[in-house]
Amino acid sequence: MQYLINGILLGGIYALLGVGMTMMFGIVKLTNLAHGEFIIMGAFASTMLAQWLGVDPIVTLIITVPLMFLIGVLLQTVLINRVMLQGSEPALLVTFGLSIIIQDALLLLFTADAQRANVAYNTATIPLFGNLYLPVLDLIVFAISLLTILVLTIFLRKTYMGRAIRATSDDTTAATLMGVSVKKTYAIAMGIAMATAAVAGLGVGMRWTFYPSSGGSYLLIAFGVVVIGGMGSIPGTLVAGLVFGLAQVIGGAQYGTLISYILLIIMLAVRPQGLFSK
Amino acid sequence: MKKMKSSNRDTVRVFGGWPLLIACIVIVAVLVVIGFVGENNIRRILIRMFLYCAMAVVWNLMSGYTGMTSLGQQAFVGIAGYSMAVMTSTYLASYWVGLLVGGAIGAVLALVLAVILFRMRGMYFAIATWVIAEALKTFFLSWKFVNQGGGLSVMGRPTDRTIIYMVALLICVAAIVTVYLLLNSKLGLGLTAMRDDPDAASSVGVNIFKSKLICFVVAGIFTALAGGWYFLNNVSIYPNSGFGNSWTVAVVFIVIIGGIGTMAGPIVGSVVYIMLSEILADYPGWSNIILGFIAILVILFLPDGIIGTLQKKLKFEILSQKRFSQE
Repeated sequence: MQYLINGILLGGIYALLGVGMTMMFGIVKLTNLAHGEFIIMGAFASTMLAQWLGVDPIVTLIITVPLMFLIGVLLQTVLINRVMLQGSEPALLVTFGLSIIIQDALLLLFTADAQRANVAYNTATIPLFGNLYLPVLDLIVFAISLLTILVLTIFLRKTYMGRAIRATSDDTTAATLMGVSVKKTYAIAMGIAMATAAVAGLGVGMRWTFYPSSGGSYLLIAFGVVVIGGMGSIPGTLVAGLVFGLAQVIGGAQYGTLISYILLIIMLAVRPQGLFSK
Repeated sequence: MKKMKSSNRDTVRVFGGWPLLIACIVIVAVLVVIGFVGENNIRRILIRMFLYCAMAVVWNLMSGYTGMTSLGQQAFVGIAGYSMAVMTSTYLASYWVGLLVGGAIGAVLALVLAVILFRMRGMYFAIATWVIAEALKTFFLSWKFVNQGGGLSVMGRPTDRTIIYMVALLICVAAIVTVYLLLNSKLGLGLTAMRDDPDAASSVGVNIFKSKLICFVVAGIFTALAGGWYFLNNVSIYPNSGFGNSWTVAVVFIVIIGGIGTMAGPIVGSVVYIMLSEILADYPGWSNIILGFIAILVILFLPDGIIGTLQKKLKFEILSQKRFSQE
């Protein structure tokens, strides 16, 4: 039962890891191999800022989210929009190159040491009935994740920009005819993906110790969430996050990741379009 | 060595190009001489170059000719490196046994993975290969038999570097010749057709599964042989070095710089890569950043790589697999 609670709470952050990846996949049709490094960038930004300013890491989102959004818009405008003209394979390899550059830049800046965004409520718990309890840290990370996903869903459904993004995703030609600038839409989508990576990075930094080289494993989890949830499906993403959360809790520190990877490989082989694809 | 050259001669003569054949023989002969008389530092650099070149040539066969962009070749490197270490240190066998066992396990691994991977195309394939390599790394990190994260040592490394050098050269030449022969066979024609339009190729009778399987297994074997031999030279192996994605980074860089989908591209690319990495070795930490930037700039401005661009500009092909390149 405690497993289930912990698994559900972890599921929130796993879902958030996958949301940015889903957006790039579904809207821009880009496999962003640098997404894991974006998340670690967010984790470093929040951890370092919180240390320097002496505030709770959550407060740093005020800075990191807009900053990462801008970096994303710039990256897409200057680089990725151009490469995508050459086809999907060069674009894939460019994001691979980006991930290497970011990873080694982080290594130069912050050394290979383990990092953690420390908070006062690290080990605090809220007792429930019986032996069950709610870890406060997990609960907060879960709440932040869900809130982010909710805000994103509302943005995509209710605002003009959000509708333009969804229209581009469904039918690029028709959206262009309706006066939507595809390149601009892609840039905004990348910006949003990076903004979610900033929030996910905060969650990662609060919940786990991380290294400059951690990006790869978070990328694969993000990808796993996308594959299991089905592209562009937000409820699917939540369920997939939950699956990975439970795998992590059941497998423990040693086998959790391995179980997740094996799940992902089976899923890719059997049903690559996802459980919840449209 | 002699046998290798004579089989090379036959092929090249059939497709024309005496000067090319002579040039190849001269280059290989010079490299053999360097192996006997060369300075140790030069031989060390060349050993790395041969092994990276072998891996790049077969990666190019997969990605450039059959559209299978694998980001998980380190799976084969790691498995073979560990085979070498386990055979020589746990079972006290010779490094020849280690090399062959590594190659055999690489072939088996490729066959097994093919069953799973060939259901996927494009980016799914790319990510799945990466996941498999990561899963193997995670598994080796907690596997007691291979000393978990503590790594293993390779025993019985030959004291004479000439042996390591010659075998590395042999692996490299064998990889190039194999890929060249494959591309010039009927299979090669089918492969190119398959890359450009899998459905059309399939409907005119190209056995896609078989062709892809041959390429994937050939790539697996040579990557494993090169990886195993690398770790013999390197003496120790850890999950993070054997299964680290720096292998894929290097190979992708080499093929992109040299020219993806060209026969000579990976060869030129590995020369460039080794030279760059030797220069950048003085700036630890920066090398991957600079290599990454170069790779991105090449993709942006020279998408065909060095050889691809030269071939387009000069209308000249080295080691071409085209049937009618002499019109």
